[in-house]
Amino acid sequence: MNDDLESRLRQALRPVPPGEEFSARMLKRVTLASPASASSRNAPPRRVAASWWLSAGLAASLLLALGIRHRQSEAQQRLAGLAARQQVFAALRVTNQKLDLAYRTVQSESRDEL
Amino acid sequence: MSADDEFARARAGNTAALVALIREHQRTVYSIALRMLGSREGAEDLTQEVFMQLGAKLGSIASKEHLRFWLRQVTANRAIDQLRHDARFQMLPLSEENPPLGASENADPLLQRHLHALLAELSAPARAVLLLRYQEDLDPVDIARTLEMPINTVKSHLKRSLEALRSRCGLTTT
Repeated sequence: MNDDLESRLRQALRPVPPGEEFSARMLKRVTLASPASASSRNAPPRRVAASWWLSAGLAASLLLALGIRHRQSEAQQRLAGLAARQQVFAALRVTNQKLDLAYRTVQSESRDEL
Repeated sequence: MSADDEFARARAGNTAALVALIREHQRTVYSIALRMLGSREGAEDLTQEVFMQLGAKLGSIASKEHLRFWLRQVTANRAIDQLRHDARFQMLPLSEENPPLGASENADPLLQRHLHALLAELSAPARAVLLLRYQEDLDPVDIARTLEMPINTVKSHLKRSLEALRSRCGLTTT
């Protein structure tokens, strides 16, 4: 009789499901509040992420262009410096030749006077 | 996919796996809450609270067995606390408009009525012991672990509840 009462108790106390409406409402609330949903909510929206990449790309392009321009300017300055140095050397060479000629002329005139 | 894989995916933050896990266990949690509190509204509130807490705690739960233990423990203990501190949770008297709550199909209607009356009379811990024994089919050792109660107390609650129910049903002790 005791076993019979216990088996009838088990039958009477079988788990029962909650209502579908409540279940759907609860699932929605729990999943919205779960850490996984919270982290996806905190992630930037795709549109914001795309505009971030666009800004970063533009900034990188601008930096690259400035770098190239700076390099070109440096190369031009170096070429101009080389040309100027060559002109100075040519002028010194001409001056030296003229001084040499003058010296030789003075020397020959001194010898003639003696 | 195995149940363990699904549990691991839920732990890793997969929402679909978490939903499947809740669907699998909501019947257990809701039934304990309903028969402990004697109120559908109270049972729904408690079920939702338990699963909200699970969403935050899932990372610290080691296995599916641990999950089942945790759900039963949290639901039963929260219901005991509510019954001790909130006068709203009193079982309603039986009437035609107020049939026994949580009655399962094919169950003996007379036994359902006696059981409802008995549950209304029992203390909160004794009610939890009876539900964990006959709804969840736990043995007294597991009930003692779940409710953090001495095993002799569990056995004594069970004995007294069965005697009271037998007496209500007009059955003699064997």
